[in-house]
Amino acid sequence: MYRYDEFDAAFVKERTAQFSDQVARRLSGELNEDQFRPLRLMNGLYLQLHAYMLRIAVPYGTMNSRQMRTLAHIARTYDRGYGHFTTRQNIQFNWPKLRDIPKILEDLAAVEMHAIQTSGNCIRNITTDQFAGAAADEIIDPRPVAEILRQWSSLHPEFSYLPRKFKIAMSGSTADRAAIRFHDIGLQATTNGLGEIGWQVWVGGGLGRTPMIAKMISGFVPHEHLLAYLESILRVYNRYGRRDNKYKARIKILVHETGIETIREQVEEEFAHVKGGVLTLPQEELDRITRYFAEPDYELVNQTSVDVAREKILNPPYGRWLERNLNAHRQAGYVSITISLKPVGGAPGDATDKQMDVIADLAERYSHDELRVSHEQNIVLPYVKITDLPSVYATLVEHGLAEGNAGQITDIICCPGLDFCALANARSIPLAQELTRKFAAPERQAEIGDLKIKISGCINACGHHHVGHIGILGVEKKGTELYQITVGGDATENAAIGDILGHGFVAEDVPNAIERLVDAYIARRESPSEPFIAAFRRLGKQPFKEALYGDA
Amino acid sequence: MEILTGNELMSGATVYLDRSGKWVEELQQARVFLKEESEAKDAALAVTKKGGRVISLEVETVTLRDGAIYPDRIRERIRAEGPTAPRFDRQHLDEDGHVSI
Amino acid sequence: MLDLAAPGIRAHKPDKLRQLGIMSLNGMFDEMDGVGVLRQAVTELLPGDVAIVSSFGADSSVLLHMVSEVDKDLPVYFLETGKHFPETLEYVETLKQRLGLTNVIALHPDAKDIERFDPKGNLWETDPDSCCHIRKTEPLEATVKGFGGWITGRKRFQTSERGVLPHFELTSDDRIKVNPLAYFSDADITTYKLKYGLPEHPLYSRGYKSIGCAPCTSVVAEGEDPRAGRWRGLNKKECGIHFDFNGAIAKPMAEQELNLWKDGKFIADPFHPWVEGDDPASVRYTHIPLPVFLERRDAVLANPHPVGLLVSPGDNVELVKGDLDRFSSIAINFPAFGDGRGYSSARLIVERYGYKGEVRAVGDVLHDQVSHMRRCGMTAFVVKHEPTRKALEDGKLATVDIFYQPVGLTEIPLGTRPFLRRAVENA
Repeated sequence: MYRYDEFDAAFVKERTAQFSDQVARRLSGELNEDQFRPLRLMNGLYLQLHAYMLRIAVPYGTMNSRQMRTLAHIARTYDRGYGHFTTRQNIQFNWPKLRDIPKILEDLAAVEMHAIQTSGNCIRNITTDQFAGAAADEIIDPRPVAEILRQWSSLHPEFSYLPRKFKIAMSGSTADRAAIRFHDIGLQATTNGLGEIGWQVWVGGGLGRTPMIAKMISGFVPHEHLLAYLESILRVYNRYGRRDNKYKARIKILVHETGIETIREQVEEEFAHVKGGVLTLPQEELDRITRYFAEPDYELVNQTSVDVAREKILNPPYGRWLERNLNAHRQAGYVSITISLKPVGGAPGDATDKQMDVIADLAERYSHDELRVSHEQNIVLPYVKITDLPSVYATLVEHGLAEGNAGQITDIICCPGLDFCALANARSIPLAQELTRKFAAPERQAEIGDLKIKISGCINACGHHHVGHIGILGVEKKGTELYQITVGGDATENAAIGDILGHGFVAEDVPNAIERLVDAYIARRESPSEPFIAAFRRLGKQPFKEALYGDA
Repeated sequence: MEILTGNELMSGATVYLDRSGKWVEELQQARVFLKEESEAKDAALAVTKKGGRVISLEVETVTLRDGAIYPDRIRERIRAEGPTAPRFDRQHLDEDGHVSI
Repeated sequence: MLDLAAPGIRAHKPDKLRQLGIMSLNGMFDEMDGVGVLRQAVTELLPGDVAIVSSFGADSSVLLHMVSEVDKDLPVYFLETGKHFPETLEYVETLKQRLGLTNVIALHPDAKDIERFDPKGNLWETDPDSCCHIRKTEPLEATVKGFGGWITGRKRFQTSERGVLPHFELTSDDRIKVNPLAYFSDADITTYKLKYGLPEHPLYSRGYKSIGCAPCTSVVAEGEDPRAGRWRGLNKKECGIHFDFNGAIAKPMAEQELNLWKDGKFIADPFHPWVEGDDPASVRYTHIPLPVFLERRDAVLANPHPVGLLVSPGDNVELVKGDLDRFSSIAINFPAFGDGRGYSSARLIVERYGYKGEVRAVGDVLHDQVSHMRRCGMTAFVVKHEPTRKALEDGKLATVDIFYQPVGLTEIPLGTRPFLRRAVENA
């Protein structure tokens, strides 16, 4: 993976010093809160309901063991012994104190990490497929380009005060595991007629109060011109994006109101000027960055498959874990492992300092010292030998990390909700906990199969509810929390926004409502191999509406 | 009836304005402003804003239940208690976090 | 002749009749009859009560020649500011001899003022208005009081405020100003000089068209407003001495008015803000809002004075790309620091359209945005926020000085990533 050179290290050091100075000026009263807020936000520091929250960037979700151990150290030393992994492949700490922030940032800088641009109206952390560089279905490893984009977007002087935040996601595989069609810019690796690899560029996707599926703005941009093309989009957005209403300030609204054709013309005109200039990426630089992401020295592994059926009989939990939590690897004898942060009754995405240390140890020992954070709030060990699976599993069991539920109904994406978040209208974690308890039985989960539930505690949709196969949105009505249920959303290449089927439910009624949806699906599916989302597409919403609200 | 609440700058902890003009952790010690006390409320807000040590100021409507202050919004009830799940104690003020207006 | 020299002429309340009398003199003389105007003033209107102040600059010879035709003994005051070019002092002597002027009087600044306000002689650098005040306005004010009228060399064509300049004027403090050259054009001046074989100021042929004190005068390009060379860079408005003598003259600038950060220090800002109702055809040292420019493009382009362009969020700089060189300064307006459109505007102006002049940030210019502004091509900053001002002065701006991405024209190869350096080398 990418290692900082002196330049990167100096950059982060300067930025840390700069923010320390800003904190000092805030504490001295030189900066008032209005002036300080955007500065702290651009360094990932929010004020939530109970305390500050620090969001630390995990560039394209990739970390090594030292970095993970530092996160554990921060959780222990400055927080309350845990951290929360987010849908942007970042980590959040919920209890830091303002005066400790400079120290935390220094600790982070020592392991090549920071909190730069994890908030604010700037270009946020670039996200990508958690299996990047390892997936069997990959066209190209997106991480070298993601790293180049990280560099290009870090403290970009022109794009630090955009109309609104700006999120870029990339997918190097045909299967989209990074929800690129729901980002401000989505980049999909593709090949042109000459067989060259480049990028399909999608623009104007997003969730929030106005969910939109991105539109393709360019079918092919070669690597060398990608920065110029993105700079062109950003400039058009910076100049013409709405600033009169923060709810209409994302690029999706600009694209929607202006029309993709006009936006494309504006971008192309800008691109005509920018193309071929200083942003042209030479092949040798791409090669240099790519070398950082060179595949590990794989060993020849005798065992290239695992008999899941047999393991399910011998050791059912292990068998289930093998069945659900492994991802096919490009290298024979290897797999990528999903470490579920979704135990029954737990807060989705939370890990204790101890668990972080354990995961770091596993990564170091079994996964070429590399791990990933997935946008589904789990951790991935990308390069694990099939022969090491029993050892890895044993350690996971020991530390409560062996839930074999990846992609199942209890693998819920969930925002922090009203328990922590200053913007939320309703709680989401208790609901997730309740649902995992309701569907805790492994047999039941296996029967249901692939089903993604996503919960947001407010319309800002951090929990991606619009693209959950079943989405749950918390709202507040007259002092009570109500939950709106949507069905049919999909974050992948088959992008779809879920439909609201009717009125909301009070929290106590939600688990039963979800169960009725699940039962309706099972009753109507063609076969157990037809997943929920496929059945929904075939059947339409009517049967699900009936399941929720009855015939009337 | 209304109370004034905010977060203390250093710790971020939830605080309430009490009758003596101090910002305190405990909701039940909050000064309850009646409708006709809006001038005093506005003055307290203005002074606090100027001081800069309590941020994210908000006026919250409350009722009295058996003599106890009960905020109308769920959000406020959670702010006063700390997260409900996973259950964590709320943030507390540091020694130098005790401020008054 | 009208009996205007009667006692009471210097009564401090201008009376209507007298005003009308003076006005009626205008039109009595042929537009180009400067000598006639002068003779009227010296012999009829203000005998023994009129004088002239001359800069002994590039155009001074014409008026002084007229003076010599009418009265070689007329008091000719020369502001010996102590900052003149040696060539100017030399020229004073040349003209004195050539024209036979017998009463050239040098006015020196008050030594105590110099001691107090400008001990190092560098006040002009930071505060040209104050420099003018102690070296010109103050010495002149004392002298002015002794005369009922003044002869000036002002010309209509020179400046907008002079567009309706008559031969005779009554000032608000009831003195008479006489403008023999009011109708003279640049060409008329040249013709006159040639006709009488008047010696040129030694610097004139070297490109100095309007000559004041040495530090504040620079060369004027061919065809440029002749006065553009005065206070260039400092862009000071106009020396106080041409304004009303009774107070509407330059006042020393208070320290806090030095709010333009440029080239590593705070200097007096020559520009003043655009005010609703300003006339784009005649404003000077004002940043004309881009929409106003688009509406009155011809008028602005015909405006002979140094003017700037104000680019606010939402303005399309593409629309003025061909006219940028007309402006001596471009101000990028940040009404709120969170509105980042100005960064794109600045980059387009500097990088794409190649504007070479001053690009300044105005509005919400704060500590933590200054480095971004710099990188996007802004070189001057109008700073009102006190902590920001202090950080700049103390050299303690908290910034990240190494950059990942190439932006602007000056960063490459310094501070950019290797691939970008190579890209430039290859270019």
